[in-house]
Amino acid sequence: MLEKVEEIAGRIGGQRHLQSLRDGILLSMPLIIIGSIFLILGNLPINGYTDWLADIGLASIFSKIVNGSFGLMALVAVFGMAHSLAEYYEVDGVSAGIIALSSFVIVTPDLVSNAGSGISYAYLGSGGLFVAIVVGLISAEIFRFFVQKNFTVKMPEGVPIAVEKSFAALLPGLMVIVFWGLVYLFLGLAGIDNIHTLLTNTLGKPLSVLGGSLWGTLVIIALNSIFWFVGIHGANTINPVIQPIWLQNTDANRLAFQAGKELPHIVTNEFMFNFVWIGGGGATIGLVICLWLFAKSKNNKAMGKLTVAPGIFNINEPALFGLPIVLNFKLLVPFILAPMAAALITYFSMASGLVAKPIGIVVPWTMPPIISGYLATGGKISGAIIQIITLAVTIVIYYPFVKLMDKSQLKEEAQEESHELSKTI
Amino acid sequence: MTTKKILLVCSAGMSTSLLMTRMKKSAQEKGIDADVMALSSNEATKLLAKEKVDVLLIGPQVRFMKSKFEKIVADAHIPVAVIDMKDYGKMDGEKVLATALELITNNEN
Repeated sequence: MLEKVEEIAGRIGGQRHLQSLRDGILLSMPLIIIGSIFLILGNLPINGYTDWLADIGLASIFSKIVNGSFGLMALVAVFGMAHSLAEYYEVDGVSAGIIALSSFVIVTPDLVSNAGSGISYAYLGSGGLFVAIVVGLISAEIFRFFVQKNFTVKMPEGVPIAVEKSFAALLPGLMVIVFWGLVYLFLGLAGIDNIHTLLTNTLGKPLSVLGGSLWGTLVIIALNSIFWFVGIHGANTINPVIQPIWLQNTDANRLAFQAGKELPHIVTNEFMFNFVWIGGGGATIGLVICLWLFAKSKNNKAMGKLTVAPGIFNINEPALFGLPIVLNFKLLVPFILAPMAAALITYFSMASGLVAKPIGIVVPWTMPPIISGYLATGGKISGAIIQIITLAVTIVIYYPFVKLMDKSQLKEEAQEESHELSKTI
Repeated sequence: MTTKKILLVCSAGMSTSLLMTRMKKSAQEKGIDADVMALSSNEATKLLAKEKVDVLLIGPQVRFMKSKFEKIVADAHIPVAVIDMKDYGKMDGEKVLATALELITNNEN
């Protein structure tokens, strides 16, 4: 049974399209985080600050920066995904990426007004993420198909290799772009004038039920814990599928926040990484603190010392493999329950309005809890307080299990000692 | 003796960097000339395209990447192994370093 889970998790983790999806999103992360910094700077929780910013004209510059960094998520992701997938096939990644980028713009509908035409920011950011995924992956597949079939411009002998290389992408790239041009044409003929709304409604709707709802979130948390339990990177395997939804929700909150409207979502990227998985997958912050404070056996004491510092930065591999948690049935129950509890508590306190919702600031997942909650909610104390509460709850959940484990460990250590003693006598 | 280049790979290069510090310390104590690096899988792929390392060790949580890296380094004859879970969890730099050196020696023979 466990071997089966491990095999499935491994296969998902190694799947080339999912890996490319993850790489693509990873590529846009620095821009998202830089954008988030300006989102914070533009909205520091000081009385009169935002008005003052608007007065001196900085507010509009800040929001321009946010739109031009955070807001380019899909544009960067489409390049990154095609690049990564092409590299997997050992064909030129940069060319594939650029061609996918072009294809993305080709299928995106124009905005036309008296001032000229262009494409909407809405589709360059998270709103275009689904099209980016589809266009990025399919473009790379078509591209590598033609390159591998050797459908390239042949140069006469004597032409420098660098020149030949620059022409190599030409015909395959042309095929990709013609393909997307035709797609755009036929969609138009079929009366579908916007591929973005089409994909968001077909692909996005079912996924957002899973990724955006409380129940779906609990399922994902359980899956993540089970994957980690067999020793496979849970976030690494599940995220490619579901993170686009979380990021879309994050971005929807960001846009609503910038527009001064009510924030539409609770389950966002920050909700998962900063509020649910505090201390890492399985909300192990409670576990490492229990080990650090309450463990009596030598082994567990040592593990407490080793795991607590990385745990504060949400890195828990030492605990996962060292304690271990992996395949340790004594810890399976709290390993699933603790992050679920964190999710439920945070969700309901945000839904009821007691705690501020995340405003769309993407905080790096390695940011320690309490600080991360404060930042993610745009500088609201309630965001920090709820993390203190969930942190305490995870300690309570892990405590009895750590005690039990510690007791049997103590017994073992005592036995070993008496063994050694009897040997020396 | 030339410097032994040891490359550690995990998802983001975060937890392997913890191990890297400990392996470096162990190497220093023993007077072993070893260059230990910890990278994310993407960074590692890029690095391997440019330069050769003596051994590639993969974090147990991303052990499904082993076949991918084996493919990448197949021509360069670089040994690839998944780090033992226990050693990884204990961040046992000494032991992982020993394993790495053993893999290098076996590979050279």
